[in-house]
Order: sequence, then C-alpha cells, then structure tokens
Amino acid sequence: MSNQKKRNFQIEAFKHRVVVDPKYAERTWKIIEHAIHEIYNHNASGLSFEELYRNAYNMVLHKFGDKLYSGLVTTMSAHLKEISKSIQVAQGALFLEELNRKWNDHNKALQMIRDILMYMDRTYIPNTRKTPVHELGLNLWRDYIIHSGKIQSRLLSTLLELVHKERTGEVIDRGLMRNIIKMLMDLGSSVYQEDFEKPFLEVSAEFYKVESQKFIECCDCGDYLKKAEIRLNEEIERVAHYLDVKSEAKITNVVEKEMIANHMTRLVQMENSGLVNMLLNDKYEDLGKMYNLFKRVPNGLSMIRDVMTSHLRETGRQLVTDVESSKDPVEFVQRLLDERDKYDKIICQAFSNSKTFQNALNSSFEYFINLNSRSPEFISLFVDDKLRKGLKGVTEEDVEIILDKVMMLFRYLREKDVFEKYYKQHLAKRLLLGKTVCDDAERSLIVKLKTECGYQFTSKLEGMFTDMKTSEDTMQGFYANHPELADGPTLVVQVLTTGSWPTQPTITCNLPTEMATLCEKFRSHYLGTHTGRRLSWQTNMGTADIKATFGKGQKHELNVSTYQMCVLMLFNNSDMLSYKEIEQATEIPTSDLKRCLQSMACVKGKNVLRKEPMSKDIGTDDAFFVNDKFTSKFYKVKIGTVVAQKESEPEKLETRQRVEEDRKPQIEAAVVRIMKSRRVLDHNNVIAEVTKQLQSRFLANPTEIKKRIESLIEREFLERDSADRKVYRYLA
Amino acid sequence: MHKLGRSHRDKVQQFMTITGASEKAALQALKANLYKRYKDPYTDMILVDGITLLCNDIQVDPQDIVMLVLSWHMKASTMCEYSKQEFFTGLQALGIDSLGKFRERIPFMRSELKDEQKFGEIYNFAFGWAKEKGQKSLALDTAIGMWQLLFAEKQWPLVDHWCQFLQARHNKAISRDTWSQLLEFARTVDTSLSNYDAEGAWPYLIDEFVEYLNENGIISNAQSMTDWSKK
Repeated sequence: MSNQKKRNFQIEAFKHRVVVDPKYAERTWKIIEHAIHEIYNHNASGLSFEELYRNAYNMVLHKFGDKLYSGLVTTMSAHLKEISKSIQVAQGALFLEELNRKWNDHNKALQMIRDILMYMDRTYIPNTRKTPVHELGLNLWRDYIIHSGKIQSRLLSTLLELVHKERTGEVIDRGLMRNIIKMLMDLGSSVYQEDFEKPFLEVSAEFYKVESQKFIECCDCGDYLKKAEIRLNEEIERVAHYLDVKSEAKITNVVEKEMIANHMTRLVQMENSGLVNMLLNDKYEDLGKMYNLFKRVPNGLSMIRDVMTSHLRETGRQLVTDVESSKDPVEFVQRLLDERDKYDKIICQAFSNSKTFQNALNSSFEYFINLNSRSPEFISLFVDDKLRKGLKGVTEEDVEIILDKVMMLFRYLREKDVFEKYYKQHLAKRLLLGKTVCDDAERSLIVKLKTECGYQFTSKLEGMFTDMKTSEDTMQGFYANHPELADGPTLVVQVLTTGSWPTQPTITCNLPTEMATLCEKFRSHYLGTHTGRRLSWQTNMGTADIKATFGKGQKHELNVSTYQMCVLMLFNNSDMLSYKEIEQATEIPTSDLKRCLQSMACVKGKNVLRKEPMSKDIGTDDAFFVNDKFTSKFYKVKIGTVVAQKESEPEKLETRQRVEEDRKPQIEAAVVRIMKSRRVLDHNNVIAEVTKQLQSRFLANPTEIKKRIESLIEREFLERDSADRKVYRYLA
Repeated sequence: MHKLGRSHRDKVQQFMTITGASEKAALQALKANLYKRYKDPYTDMILVDGITLLCNDIQVDPQDIVMLVLSWHMKASTMCEYSKQEFFTGLQALGIDSLGKFRERIPFMRSELKDEQKFGEIYNFAFGWAKEKGQKSLALDTAIGMWQLLFAEKQWPLVDHWCQFLQARHNKAISRDTWSQLLEFARTVDTSLSNYDAEGAWPYLIDEFVEYLNENGIISNAQSMTDWSKK
C-alpha cells in the first residue's frame, strides 16, 4: 500500500517575529488613550502621527481591534461627559456659544482621531460591522450632549426664543444660529427634524395664528395682505440664512395656512376694503398681492374668481337693465366697452393675464349682455354711430381697435341673427344716404364678421356694397348715352338687388313731371341693357338737392328727402296749398306726409314752409305757404333726413317677428340635415344636435324645434318610429 | 253552403234551381243585388241616400259608430260614400251576402271596438276617412265629433277637456301626427298626468293641453311632475 502523497510546496507568509507581550496591548492602548486626551486638551502638537498610526495599526493587526474600539468609545464618552457639564453651566447667551465652540473642537478632534485610527476604520470596522469612527463620534456627541437631559430642552427653547426675537424685530446672531442648525443637520436629518424642525413648525403655527388674528381685527384688507407678504418673505429669507433648505416649503405652508387660508373668506368679503372694493377702485397693487398670496393656497384663486364673477354679473345686470342707459344705445354700448376694458386691465395687471380669469370675464359678459333683448340692436346702433361720424379723424390703428372691441361684444351675443337684421337695416341707410364717414372701416368690419360667422353671414352685406358700385357705373353709362340730359336735373339712381337689401314695402308717390320723365328715361335705359328684370322706384328712401330762392332774394340749396322734394316742387306753381291738395297731388302715405310737412314747417331753422294755423302738429285742414322770411346762416341747408333711430315699439315687434320667421326655415334645414345623415334618431338627441348646429347664429328654442319637427312629419320628410314613438326616421 | 240560415238556403237553392248557377255565383249575384239596391242612380257609387237606406235596412243609426267599423272593413277612403269596390270588399271581409247576414254581423262589429289592437286600427283609419278629400288635415269640428264618438267606446276621462281646450286655444285643423299621438297619450298617460314626460316627444299641442290642464287647476301641478324614479 503505497500512497503517493502529493506534497505541495507551501510558501508561508513571512511573519514578523513580534514578541507577543501580554502587556503589549495594554501598553499600546495607553499610548493611544493618552493621545486622545491630549487631542481633546488642545495639546496635539506634541504628538507623532506616525507613531500613533503605527500603534493603532499594530493593535488591529494583532487582533486587539476590540480593545482599541471599546477603548475609543469609553474615552470619547468620558470626554464628552465633561464637555457636557461645561456647556450646562454656561449662562444665558454663552450657552449657544459654548456649545458651538465645543462642537468645533470635537469635530477637529474627531478628524485627528479618525486619521490615527484609519486602519481600524478600514479593516476591523467593516469586518465587525461596527460604526465607523467619524459616525461614532457624531452619535456620541448626539447622545451625550444634544440628547442629554439638561441640554436638550434648553437648546430647543433657546433656538426657538431666538427665532421669536427675530420675528418681533430684534437682531440675532445669524451666524451662530447657522452653525448650530448645521450641527443638528450633520447629526442626521431625524435629529434636525425631531429636535428642531417639528417644534419649530408648531411654534410658528401658533405664532402666526395669534398674529393673523390680531391683524385681521385691526387692518383693512390691503394692509393685511402687505403684512402677510412681508412675513412670508421673512420666513423664506430665514430659511436661506440659517435653516435647512427643505424647511422652506414647510414653513411657507404654515404661514400660508395660518395667515391666508384660514382668513380667506373674511379678507375677500371685508367691507370697504375687500375684493369687491378693490375691483371697483382699480387697486391693481392690492389685487396683485391678493392674487399672488391666494395662489399659494388651495381654492384661493377660485375664491377670487367666484367673487369677481358674481360681482361682475351683478354689475353687468344692473348696467344692462337700467332703464336710463337704455335710452341712449351708444352710451349703453360704450359703458359695456368701458367695463370690459376695466376688467381686462385688472386681469392683465393684477391677475397675470390668467386664462381662467379671462374665461370668467367672458362668461359673465355673455351672461348679462343677453339679459337685455335689445343688445344686438344697440350694438348695431353703436357701430352705426361710429361709422357715421364717430371715426372722423381717428387713426387707422385706432379704428381697428374700436372695431375689434365691438367684435368682442358681438361674440357674446346669443342672438346673432337679430344683430344681422339690424345691421343690415342700418347699413342700408348709411349706404343710401351716403352717410359713411369711413369706407375702409365699413369693409374692415364686414371682413371681421365674415371671419367670425362665415361667408353666409356677410354675403348679402357684400352684395349691398356691390350694388352701390354697380349703380355708379350704371349712372355713368346712362349719362354717356344721353348727353342731351346733361343740362337738366342730375339724377342719381341706386339699383338695389332685392335679396340683399332689407325688405321694404314699395311705396311710390307722384314725382314732379320733370323728375318723372327723367326716371322713365333711366328705366328704359336700364331695362334696355338688363332684360328680364323689374325695377320698382323706392321713393321713400331717396334724397334731393334743390336750389331755392326766397322772398327777399335769399338763395339756398336745400337737401331734402324725395317726399319733401315732391311737396316743395308743388309750390313752383302755387303760392298756397292745403294739406288735402298736397296729399292728392303727391299721393304720399299719410304718416310720412305729416312727418315730412312737420319737418319743413315746424322745425326752427328749417322752416322753409309756413303753416296756418301755426300749431306744432299737422292737421288735415292746414294751409301751407312758402316761408319768404326764411333765413339761415348757411347756404346749404339740410332738412330732416331719416336717421337710424332706436325702433319704436311696434317696429321692434315687427323686426322680432321677422327674425322669428326667418329662424323657422333655418331650424328645419338643420333638422333635415341631421336626420338625413343619421337616418334614425331619438327626440332628445335631435333637439341637442339642432341646438348645437344653430348655436353660432341664435339659441334655438326646444319648443320651436319640436313644432318644426311636427311640420316636417306633416310634410312627410320624417315619421315616428312604429316601435318607439320618441324616435324619428328620415323618409327619403 | 257556409253558414246560411234555413230560409236563406232555400232562397239560394231556389236561385240555383231557376238559373242553374253554382253556389259561388249565386252568392255573388246576391251581393250584386244588394249593391244595386243602394247604389246611386247616376253614378257607380253608393252615396248618402243609399247609405241612409242601408242604415234603415240594417236598423242602425247613421251616426252609430258601427258605421265607422263597417267603413273600416270596406277600407273606405272617405265618409258618406262607398265605391263599388269598397262595398264588395266590406261584404267579403265580413262574410255578408244578405241583409239578414248583415244584421247578424252588427254585434260582432261592435265587439271589435273592444279589442285593443283593432280599436287602434279603427281609430287611425278614422282620420283619413273623416277628413276632406285632398286635405292633409282634419277639420276641427269633425275631429271633435269623431273623438267624442270614439272615446265614448274607449272611455278616456279627459276627452271633454281636450275638446274644450281645442276650441278655446287651437281653432285650427288637426294633423295626422297629432291624431295618432293622442291615442298613445290616452293609452299611456294616466288621468292625473303623473307619468307625463315633458321630454317625451309629444306633439306640441299635447304639451299645450297639459299646460292648459295645469293652468286651470284641472290637474294639480304636483301630480303632473315627471316621476324620475320611473325613468
């Protein structure tokens, strides 16, 4: 049995032949212990780093790490106990200073000790999973100093007292605070939080609770907000100077809650200084402060917004239903524009142009503008006024600005089709009477309306402009073809396409002979080039310029309506005419004739006629004469042209009726469109879809829609579903 | 020989013996005789006089609702006249070939009004039949008359209020949709209007009627509110 043992070469580590002196460990430790004492006694200069390091190294090497470590713990603890006592006896302000000084000393000592024991730190400690030297040093500091019974509470109360002092206006040693706080932070975030931050926040909350209560009793809103802002900034600055940056959000939350959130309602509603007051008086700065502060708390901004909205709605409602302001449409609209400008500025300057506030503004306007059913009419009248005279001398940019503002109001209208009707009427009058001051402005507005509402809305309006232009060309052609008429009265005809212009009843009257023949010549000329058309003279809409010579030879040029011209021309052949004679000769309708005579006989400065008896009203037995004593400063005298007035009650009803009538086919068209594409649809959905489709023109009434549906059933466009009577089917 | 009474059978037999015709032809001839009795001397239709005579023969008042049922069977296009085609259609549908038969069928026709389904058909038929030829809508007076007649059979408690309402507020003709929807209304909505749904796509006239009932305190408002739990 021969076992061939393999004999491996073993190279053994060279072992230093160290004498393992039983007292070796103790001796070595004593050296180190002594060093630690010296270090703590500020006597480190006499020590040899190399020697100490080597000793520590050897101890660990020879497996005396335990002794070294436990020795370290004991020694350091003992020193810290001493230090603790010395801090405790410090009086007053010296307490913190002493603490700070000892902390600095400790850190320096710790560093040196750590350096000496570095080998242990790197080998023994990881192996045994013990706390590293530096950390150990901090923990011991924490346990023996910071958490020592006599120091812990005193430290906290000292710190809090200093903060309080600073809050009440005193100056404190910020550098010292910073160091102490940093010490707590270095000891671990839980130490900072438990031993300082939490109590700090609680105390701060209490402080601000009391302070905010005090302020709110004695300050007005603006002042309170100022104070709150100052406090908030103070706290932020405090954190920056001597607290952990993570505390900023926490302390600002406290301030926000105590000073703002808890008093929000009271602040906003404060009489004579709250939100409403600020809005009324354009207090931009205060409003801005409120916005910035309330932004920080939940529901802050929505509270501001809600109060603003309800105030605006109420103000708007009063504005719009005020009987006085309804008497002057231009004034009415101007006030709306002013109100809008005011709030625009507020939102821009104080509410950082927030979209949600803009929306609140818009919805409020939309709400109250539609409370007055005459708003569409009034806006049109406003535009009419501006285009007639209000824009003279205004620069192009300013014109655009005014028109854009008008468009904004237009967008709020629910009954846009009513606006369209009035606008058309007013535009017609402006065009026919040559009243437009600014042609570019007219066209610019049409373009804006087209962009807003689509081609359909403005196609007729554009047609009106085209007719005016075409008529000009037609007149030129007429006179070119009839040069012999150049000496006679000048005729200007505007040919209006019936569909584009507002419908007018065609009333004719008897024109003076010269005019009648001239008109006939024009008619044949026109029909010569446009066969298949029909022309009807609208004598109720024309004007005339007449040259007149009065009794004392005074000459004037009179600008009158066609009716007035007919009446005046009669006096070429008679000195006196009775009402009945005039009526018979001219065949002008009664109410028009009366108004026409009244404007020429009863209005000071325009009384080219004399009436007997000299009463204010026109009676059927009155007699009329030319007023030979007529005088006027001006050569050209304009007599009573028909201005676009606010409608009288019966006219208003008529227009409204026409609008309602016009809506019926639009509703039907919408119903048919929807049913054609859906084929089968239930009642409620039909109503919803139709309303949506017509929204841009007017708010459709569900009852009216229902009536239109029934009409369509009657005419067999739709039928009810046989199984479910609430469902409609499209009949192809 | 289907359902012929004894005397009738004898007559038919007689006819057949005399003329040598088949049963079917015999029956046809009898029907034709009836037609000849009532038809107008100048036109190939039965007109007012003929109808009056018919009513006499079958011992029915011309205003009796059973005449409506008869017209329905005939698919008559308009009241107060029957075309030849319509007359024969009616006789066929009812299995009538003699006056006796006719009289026998009267109770049956009355009973048809009690049938929910048939009543509905008859009701809807009545609109087209009662209105003027060439008109789309039914004149108000005629409509009211028809409703009173029809709802006497079916018992709708609100019918008088409905008629009063129409005379006071509407005064125009009645559309087909309104006519047919009214029956639905009478059938489904109870007399206290507790289950009336304002969004129920009822014709506008019926909505107005409900308003009228509320305004005049005929129905108290609380009752006419929609019961949401039933939706």
